[in-house]
Amino acid sequence: MTGRYLAAFHWQSRAVLGRHLAVYLRNWHTAALPPILEPIILLLAFGVGLGTYISEIQWRGQPLSYLAYLAPGMLAYTAFMTAFFQALFAAYIRMHYQKTWEGQLTTQVRLEHVVWGEALWAATLGTAYSLIVTLVLAGFGVAGWLDLHWGWALLALPLLFLASLAFATLGLLFTAVVPSIDHMNIPFFLVIMPLGFASSTYFPMETGSPWALVWLTLNPLHHLAEGVRILLVTGDLNLHLVAAAALFLLMILVLVPVDFRLLRRRVLGEG
Amino acid sequence: MTTSLPADEPAAGPAAPARLVLEAADLVKRFAGRCVVDQVSLRCQGGEVLGLLGANGAGKTTTLRMCYGFLEPDAGSIRIAGLDRIAQPDGAARLVGVCTQDETFDTDFSVSDNLLRFSRYFRPRPAGLEERVAELLARFDLARYADAKPDTLSGGYRRRLMIARALVHRPRLLFLDEPTTGLDPQARVAVWELVDQLRREGLAIVLTTHYMDEAERLSDRLLVLREGRVVAEGTPRSVLGDVVGEHVVVLSGRDPAAAAVREWVREEGLGDPAEVLGTWHVALDGPRLARFSERFPGLRFEVRTPTLDDLFLRLARRP
Repeated sequence: MTGRYLAAFHWQSRAVLGRHLAVYLRNWHTAALPPILEPIILLLAFGVGLGTYISEIQWRGQPLSYLAYLAPGMLAYTAFMTAFFQALFAAYIRMHYQKTWEGQLTTQVRLEHVVWGEALWAATLGTAYSLIVTLVLAGFGVAGWLDLHWGWALLALPLLFLASLAFATLGLLFTAVVPSIDHMNIPFFLVIMPLGFASSTYFPMETGSPWALVWLTLNPLHHLAEGVRILLVTGDLNLHLVAAAALFLLMILVLVPVDFRLLRRRVLGEG
Repeated sequence: MTTSLPADEPAAGPAAPARLVLEAADLVKRFAGRCVVDQVSLRCQGGEVLGLLGANGAGKTTTLRMCYGFLEPDAGSIRIAGLDRIAQPDGAARLVGVCTQDETFDTDFSVSDNLLRFSRYFRPRPAGLEERVAELLARFDLARYADAKPDTLSGGYRRRLMIARALVHRPRLLFLDEPTTGLDPQARVAVWELVDQLRREGLAIVLTTHYMDEAERLSDRLLVLREGRVVAEGTPRSVLGDVVGEHVVVLSGRDPAAAAVREWVREEGLGDPAEVLGTWHVALDGPRLARFSERFPGLRFEVRTPTLDDLFLRLARRP
């Protein structure tokens, strides 16, 4: 059982990760555009545009500019969205259409290495995109539009990596079960949309409802967004960060064996 | 340009017979409760081509996939140059090269980068990699396409790239799953020549094919599968004799005596004649051919030696 987790550290998993990195670096100039442009557009549209109508919101009993509320949420959303999307769409294309996995599986690389290679690559990309978003947000800070503790953002990067890895294992779960690429809208509308927006990323979720409380308590993305927000706004290390790390670790521990089992069935036809 | 293939492979296990490279015994594989490979055993030694023959669904590709480690057998054992395929997967996989039925090269990389990138999936890393890649590009006539993307090549050259890639780490055993399917005759012959060269250099090769002429020309030995079981094994000639017979009588299915011929064939316990575009093909041994000639003295027919096409026709019929 532990062998499934230890495979993450095998040279074969690094070889698969290296292949994805090499492809990315060939197209880095176009591939890096989304994480640069997306936060600029979102900050301008929601922060500056919408923010003129809701210049301040109540957060943890204090007034906070909507732009300052939004920026840490975007960081969490970027890690989540990038890793999930990469592990879902890109991994599915490599598995099904490009047959990259089948080629790798004719070598010393085994399925557990292919899966870990995909998950680690999605996590790497999620973290890298988060870093780019951080730099863009810091640029807004330099321009005087955002007043946050930017130095703490670097401390959040390991947690963003863990978050990306956890969401990658979730994405791979759907890669294993979606019947075809036409069915990708199911995880998009069932997971990305509800989880991405209803997790204190773009607006506060504390409504007082017991259902909302349960949802937020069990929701790792909420803890990530809120934890990073407290860190960047106040500079305080907080329990949301601990809760997020624990929930992401739990996700990885639970989802990795499930991914292996389902992908073994899908790729190798073995039950 | 020629090359010595087994140059830097890991040491074989102590129990390895001198030149036996593949030894698989009693392989069993089930999918969803259905047995698709049932007690199949195969052996291949250096400098030999073993052909796996069988109709679609006979279990050829599944057998191959178990041998090269894509699938795990439900029962049976596989040894590659003495190394246990299950217990020593890394060591065994290092000795194996695979050219799959589907094209699995990396379309994100150029032809030469495909070879370089693929070599990173092997440890120990192939020695003298740059030279090895240049050598393979020259040998497979791919040097002029070194910087091209693989999907811009013709079918024949894409297949050359697949085989070259399977050899980049200097394996001792090469699996070719239907290596010439979809190629034009000229490209097929080019692949045959490459396979023949590799055999002469001492590589052990296991191939599956639907093309009877290909199996006959390339294979030193054949293993014929039907519904997951081995039904014949040996040299192409001996397999034909065992499964098909010594002679094949060909006659028109529209001949007035055709009904009587069918009746006679059934009485001899040979089932129904194989029918191809209105002609009947009846495999007979020597004594039966003599009786056939006596029984139908006025019938117009020809007698030819059996081919692997007859074997396929025979296998396609229910027992």
